[in-house]
Amino acid sequence: MRPVLVGLETEYGLSVEGRGAEDQIDDSMALVRSYPGECFVGWDYRFESPRSDLRGFQVDRLAYDPEDAQFDTGKVRQGDREVRSDRVLPNGARFYNDHGHPEYSTPECLSAHELALHDKAGEQVVARAAAAFADETGRQVKVYKNNTDFHGASYGTHESYLVPRAVGFEKLFKALVPLFVARQVLTGAGKVGHEHGSACPFQMSQRADFFVEPANIETLYRRPVFNTRDEPHADPRQWIRTHVICGDANRMFACTRRKVALVRLALALVDADLVPVWRLADPVRSFAEVSRAIDDEGRIDLEGSSWTTPRLVLESYLDAAERLPDADSETLDTVQECRSLLEARFSRPDQFRRTVDWAAKHWLLDQYREAEGLAWHHPAMQSLDLAYCDVDPAESLFDALVEAGEVDGEPGDLPEVLPAPVGSRPWARGLAAARFGRHIETISWGSMVFKGNDGPVDLRLDPLREFNPALADVESWEEFCALLQD
Amino acid sequence: MVNFDRTTRPAEPEPSRKLGDEGGPGKPDIDRPKAPNELLRRMKNVDPDQAKKYRQRSGQ
Repeated sequence: MRPVLVGLETEYGLSVEGRGAEDQIDDSMALVRSYPGECFVGWDYRFESPRSDLRGFQVDRLAYDPEDAQFDTGKVRQGDREVRSDRVLPNGARFYNDHGHPEYSTPECLSAHELALHDKAGEQVVARAAAAFADETGRQVKVYKNNTDFHGASYGTHESYLVPRAVGFEKLFKALVPLFVARQVLTGAGKVGHEHGSACPFQMSQRADFFVEPANIETLYRRPVFNTRDEPHADPRQWIRTHVICGDANRMFACTRRKVALVRLALALVDADLVPVWRLADPVRSFAEVSRAIDDEGRIDLEGSSWTTPRLVLESYLDAAERLPDADSETLDTVQECRSLLEARFSRPDQFRRTVDWAAKHWLLDQYREAEGLAWHHPAMQSLDLAYCDVDPAESLFDALVEAGEVDGEPGDLPEVLPAPVGSRPWARGLAAARFGRHIETISWGSMVFKGNDGPVDLRLDPLREFNPALADVESWEEFCALLQD
Repeated sequence: MVNFDRTTRPAEPEPSRKLGDEGGPGKPDIDRPKAPNELLRRMKNVDPDQAKKYRQRSGQ
């Protein structure tokens, strides 16, 4: 299988005692700046191109939510660089303020397992920054790893997959959209209630209510199932970064891993020309319908008058993956795990919910609901949903569930700043930031600019290059640059 | 490419959402494990109005 570089970015929900949404951008900035751990300040925005579309054009501007914009009325803020407050951590991760949400972007990884570990460790970075911010302000600060405020505002958890540009939009769209619609059965984070579309007491996905088009470039408003932003953070002549915005923020390690591993698997099918062909009649409607199919297999309408189920769609991908001539062990493990879960969903639900976020949340909240005689639409039920997503282990219902032994596969204690693999691009980035930060002007995913004695030294970091481990031993930034350019 | 486009399956009527349809019952008639009391106690400590008060900026 071709190695696929993968990253995860999670925008966390933020609640500060005595403050409102109109203060959230200021609070999120301050929270990020409160992070007490080692970090480098100086992000390079030159390579960001959120208006470039994979389909070969650039839009004049991105859509914004007019209701959300009202929170900015009368506000005067510093420049974009100050507002974002970017930090680069010693493991190459990025921590910053994204439109009022503290965002942790993992170091890019080559396996779903490794990526899920980094995502899990990143929860501690955000929680520690929140604790420091609470100490500074004397206010209670809560951060939630979720994607909705239950009042119609959503914030994302984005996956990034580096794909050769030669693959192109059409193949990716056809290969991934059926999977996106179906995978929530095995990867959804679960949500009490609905915000748009048909009413429901509980649904699998945090994000399903927020998609309005099959494909477009937007992320803040009129969001698509398939996002077409063309921003590779690598040589654009060679690479596409498939930017997936329809996934949920998972608390469960196994769910995060599975979410990414399934897309990795689908991309391998693209390379091998083994993608199962599903022609969905309306991916947006099907996404919402599958999300609401808590008690049955669900239905996905196809073009013409036929239909299928998310289980059949997922099984078609798993069947095809078994025909891959060079499937790696992570892909084979994913096939086995997903088959087992699809089989267990109705026959062994107490096994299913041990590694599927939405099913665990539903099981837990349903017991409370029954014990207290509450309806699903009682306001306390959404508060419990929030508490499940709280990243403070002392308060979180998810962490209590883990402590109670009701969740399988959690990785145990991790360092807050989990090191990136030696020789990887994030390793080189993090190493430079930690050791030679005062000689560096800016860093981005694919570049580093050293101050230089005779002017800036602007270096590009190839995404899949194996960097020389000797970089860790050099004594000066000049040696570091020389070795990096070798 | 492999074609899984339902050519071997004729169009079928819309399934009902009754329990027991297709993949089995949603709530099997068995005694399911209950959440430990400690967990239920933590749930009782949650501010029931927290979600009502929770308003966020629209993110990406």
